[in-house]
Amino acid sequence: MSYDNVIELKELHRHYTMGGDEVKALDGVDLEIKRGEYVSIVGPSGSGKTTLFNLIGGLDKPSRGSVFIDGVDIAQLDAYELAWLRCRKIGYIFQSFNLIQVLTALENVALPTVFAGVARDEGLKKAEYLLESVGLRTRTHHRPTELSAGQQQRVAIARALANDPAIILADEPTGNLDLNTGMEIIDLLHGLNKTRGLTLVAATHDLKMIKASDRIVWMRDGQVERIERG
Amino acid sequence: MTRESIGQVHFSLGDAARLSYDHIKRRWGRAAINVASIALGLSFYATLVLSDTFYGTYEGVGGVQLSVESYQYWLVGVALVVSVVGITNAMLIAVYERYKEIGTMKCLGALDRHIIMLFLVESGFQGLAGGLLGFMLGMLAAVMTTGFSTGFDIVFKVPAVRMLTLFGGSVLLALTLSMVATMYPAWRASKLRPVEALRYEL
Repeated sequence: MSYDNVIELKELHRHYTMGGDEVKALDGVDLEIKRGEYVSIVGPSGSGKTTLFNLIGGLDKPSRGSVFIDGVDIAQLDAYELAWLRCRKIGYIFQSFNLIQVLTALENVALPTVFAGVARDEGLKKAEYLLESVGLRTRTHHRPTELSAGQQQRVAIARALANDPAIILADEPTGNLDLNTGMEIIDLLHGLNKTRGLTLVAATHDLKMIKASDRIVWMRDGQVERIERG
Repeated sequence: MTRESIGQVHFSLGDAARLSYDHIKRRWGRAAINVASIALGLSFYATLVLSDTFYGTYEGVGGVQLSVESYQYWLVGVALVVSVVGITNAMLIAVYERYKEIGTMKCLGALDRHIIMLFLVESGFQGLAGGLLGFMLGMLAAVMTTGFSTGFDIVFKVPAVRMLTLFGGSVLLALTLSMVATMYPAWRASKLRPVEALRYEL
């Protein structure tokens, strides 16, 4: 069964206690994101962007409320099921790329396929194809330290696509890149969103990224302040 | 998607071995320290048990009775404990260095036990290397110290089965010590929440 809303957040709360005080990182968020949509999450630091990102990605558990991914409430899932979800349904892209330094670009991209149980040869073949599709055909055997920042982010994007996820979560993907490189990465992500029908959720400050998106969710003090059409 | 359609993640011992091998190859400095630590402790142990064996063999072929002092075994025990503590320390640092990497692996689908497996396999490799090296060093030291009183050809008079048992036992001991030393660091690494690991900036 396929749901129209690939992500649904209902009455989402995430509270921490910090030095005895209760911090409401998220304070009742309701949001629906459609399959194939490109949504930017924007807000000042401390507005709850990252918490929201972590909750959608199954990296953190809500204090109250639910996160539905493709119709399944992930607060109900155990550690094994969450790992599978992270492996197969969600592709993560980080500000600092987070590539495994000891592995080549090709091996980095193939790593998620290992967890998915794909045969090694098949995984490497897929990785090669993905690297080619992000424009890094000649860099497959380079290690992250031998690549530029933009190239590293391309490898990270290819890695995020390795298991054909339904959702790409990007946390400030252009935050560590210069203007032109950032632009290239935005074009690449936007292209993937359009051609592959991938749902793209990006927490960002980058105006150019915001402009390219279908919807913009403005966060403030743990709540959705307003939602704009892109 | 339904909850029933959720499958399982995979990570075999072979996958762990391949990744560990890459880690050791690329970060061989730290691995070398661990290997040296286990090799030194173990060579001390091997020297003692080999000397004891050489003396016994010498006595068996009609030589005078010589033996290893029992207090020396205490020293070996201490040396092995020191190397275990050294490895635990080095592996804890390795865990801190790889905070981000561990978090990333968890985002890609790794379970706690996969992380434990990764670190244990890595320390297993190091233990194996340390055991082999330590036994060779111990053999050299034992021959050098006992050779003058028993004759250097004593090595060849030791029954092969006895020699193999000593060799196997030493390597197994090194492997076990190395893996025991890594248990706590590996457990710490596995308990890292992906979020925390990703927030960590070096």
